[in-house]
Amino acid sequence: MFETLNLLILIAAGLVALSVFTSLVSFRIGAPLLLVFLVVGLAAGEDGPGGIAFSDTRAAYFIGSIALTFILFDSGFRTRLATFRLAAAPALALATVGVALTAGVVGAAAHYLFGWAWTDGLLLGAIVGSTDAAAVFFLLRVGGVNLREMISATLEVESGSNDPMAIFLTVTLIGMITAGSMEADAAAGAEMILEFVRQMGLGLLAGLSGGYAIVQIVNRLKLEAALYPILVLALALVLMTVTTLVGGSGFLAVYVAGILCGNVRMRQQPSLKKFQGGTTWLSQIGMFVTLGLLASPSQFGDVAVQGFGLAAVLIFLARPFAVWLCLMPFGFSRSEIAFVSWVGLRGAVSILLAILPLISGLPNAQEIFNVTFLIVLTSLVLQGWTIRPMARWLKLTVPARMGPVDRIELELPGGQDLELVGYTVHPASPVARGERIPRWARPVLILREGRNIRLQKAGKPQPGDRLYILASPRQVPVLDTLFAAATQEENDPALFGDFDLDPETRLAELGALYGFNVNKADADLTLRAFMMRELGDDVEPTDRVAYGDIDLVVRAIDDDHAITAVGLAVEHVEPAEPTLPFFFSREDFSRVARRVAGRIRRSRARAKVMARRKSTYDGKGRAGTAQAPETDAPQADAKADGQAPTAADQAPAPAPTATAPPPAPARATTKASIQDDDEDEAVGGRKSEDDGPDETPRLAAAGHDETR
Amino acid sequence: MDLNDLITSKAIVPSLKANSKKQALQELAAKAAAVTGLPERDVFDTLLQRERLGSTGVGNGIAIPHGKLVRLDKLVGLFARLERPIDFDALDDQPVDLVFVLLAPEGAGADHLKALARIARRMRDPGTVAKLRATSDADALYSILTQPVASNAA
Repeated sequence: MFETLNLLILIAAGLVALSVFTSLVSFRIGAPLLLVFLVVGLAAGEDGPGGIAFSDTRAAYFIGSIALTFILFDSGFRTRLATFRLAAAPALALATVGVALTAGVVGAAAHYLFGWAWTDGLLLGAIVGSTDAAAVFFLLRVGGVNLREMISATLEVESGSNDPMAIFLTVTLIGMITAGSMEADAAAGAEMILEFVRQMGLGLLAGLSGGYAIVQIVNRLKLEAALYPILVLALALVLMTVTTLVGGSGFLAVYVAGILCGNVRMRQQPSLKKFQGGTTWLSQIGMFVTLGLLASPSQFGDVAVQGFGLAAVLIFLARPFAVWLCLMPFGFSRSEIAFVSWVGLRGAVSILLAILPLISGLPNAQEIFNVTFLIVLTSLVLQGWTIRPMARWLKLTVPARMGPVDRIELELPGGQDLELVGYTVHPASPVARGERIPRWARPVLILREGRNIRLQKAGKPQPGDRLYILASPRQVPVLDTLFAAATQEENDPALFGDFDLDPETRLAELGALYGFNVNKADADLTLRAFMMRELGDDVEPTDRVAYGDIDLVVRAIDDDHAITAVGLAVEHVEPAEPTLPFFFSREDFSRVARRVAGRIRRSRARAKVMARRKSTYDGKGRAGTAQAPETDAPQADAKADGQAPTAADQAPAPAPTATAPPPAPARATTKASIQDDDEDEAVGGRKSEDDGPDETPRLAAAGHDETR
Repeated sequence: MDLNDLITSKAIVPSLKANSKKQALQELAAKAAAVTGLPERDVFDTLLQRERLGSTGVGNGIAIPHGKLVRLDKLVGLFARLERPIDFDALDDQPVDLVFVLLAPEGAGADHLKALARIARRMRDPGTVAKLRATSDADALYSILTQPVASNAA
């Protein structure tokens, strides 16, 4: 008895340790770590060298559920409220409609590929419908790419919040299949929607109240410090199970509670974060290894063709289509849509859900499980391995806001407002170069060459000093920028423009200074206001707004995405983002609409002129027959006669008003067109920076019309 | 990308003495007044007005103050090497020791911007900057600025 138990512990611990060791290899070769864990599980399993015959689906589901609870709670805990607010709308669209669409398309493909019933096909679609929080988080955070925040925020919130949707669809479909109720009538549909609302509503409510309760308990109870993290995780598990028991979505509740706990003032937050970081790793290793163990790769051969076919459908068809439909209304650019589509990583949640049909004993359960496993493997290999190059190719990376910072946070018992932050002064940091430490930050201890230096005697911080500062947690980001090494790109004029400009400068002043005409409507705008209007919410450093021959560059932003420093580039640089031939953005559609509207306006104006001329000629007794060809214009426009004189006055104006840029000189050079573009831009809101050279109506270039 | 058309050998100050940004601008305005024949005050005010919108210190110890003057008839460049680096509120907080002033006529428009771009690009070239820092001889400085950039196309 003891022998077997010992053996079990040995196996489990050995696998975890092995997984941790392989992470070293993974960083070397750039493979997604989760894939490595999965492979460790597969290798240890019945068909690998390990030869462990593990086929206890219930145990696997049990381990997986607990692990997923921890992962979701932690991912919510680490999601900053600002991030959530920034991306809530597009991310939630993806998490609900997106998942349903993906499931639908994959389901249809499965129905035809396998010849399964519609419900079985859709079940498979639902199982692989959600992106994997663990995989996406890991790749975004540890992946070493600095994505535009709008993109990373969308992906993060999506991956955290779409699991409940996929779980809901899967469970509902299994219920339908086992109950044998195949009729898809209106009543069933209504019931399903009602069930959805109930689950999500309850999940949301439970999450909010549960999160609040956790915060209150932690803040009020006086416990041994090491017990808090355990208490929090235990409460998260309680929340998950209780919510599920009362018919809500437990995983949604946990995620929401995590967001709440991570964004309000709560005791022990730093140590909680550390502990949960470890738990999340352990959960991921446990989940992926277990699921790897459970699979029997020897059976994969039977479904390999269909499996890879479905993976291709999911990656190249279902996900892009769903993402495009969901994100297009929010004004995402083509490359952004493409990237979000590509980061549709499937992971442990899908495999976990694929266990459910096995547990329920559905006829196609084993095939569904194996196909799901193949899809997840393909997705992790193909997408997980190529995220970095893809982000760079689509030009969605932004320069790091700051270099590495060596910081430790120490919570002070008693006070919730202050914490002790320790920094090592980096030689290339602003502080080392003489930047002063703000007054609200009180240095309490300076260690130089390992010795405690009296504050009065320390003088300026030297590189290598270790400074301990008393500060409020909210101010830590400001301190970070002071103590972090300057990034290489920080002052690169090619990226940030040549000169510095006060964001409060009015456009008119700038125009006067550099000799370009400023559209009257814009003249009184400050640079900040103007750039915010042009760029919308999604502002990142190095974003550019062209005005005349210059580019205004965002040099710095604050936490709320407000522009704090503006650069001036005296040369316009065409954006280097590749223009994809698909994923048409809202901008593209509104451009087409504008073009069509312009054409209609022009032809109407022309018709009016023709009608007027015709009537004059008619009045003169058809004297001007030489002009006959022009009278081809709609003759029926007789009612325009009355307005003839006004139409004549307007006639010259509408022609240049048409925004449709002629292909060669793309610039709008007349006042009329400037005004017009401007209106359209304002309506379009976010003017994305991906506009191709021939499509960007450069706002004002009056005064000098040479092209570079 | 040489700056032949922007600068003359007379418009070089090989070692400017100044303790502050304001003083440096004043000295440069005086020099510009001598080169262009315009009142020193006007030049100074123009340069100072631009600095108010944001420093023209572009980093790496270089500043490119600039502005427009009504009575100027062509673009006028002025180069100064400072004896001691001074604080210029530059973006990277580095003190400035190389200053290129560009004054443009009122209607210069795109030419003004193009000239600025050329200067900025030239002053980004590490080779040029190193050579400028290595000498305090006016003729040598002039020939460095008017030579086309060596092999590395920065």
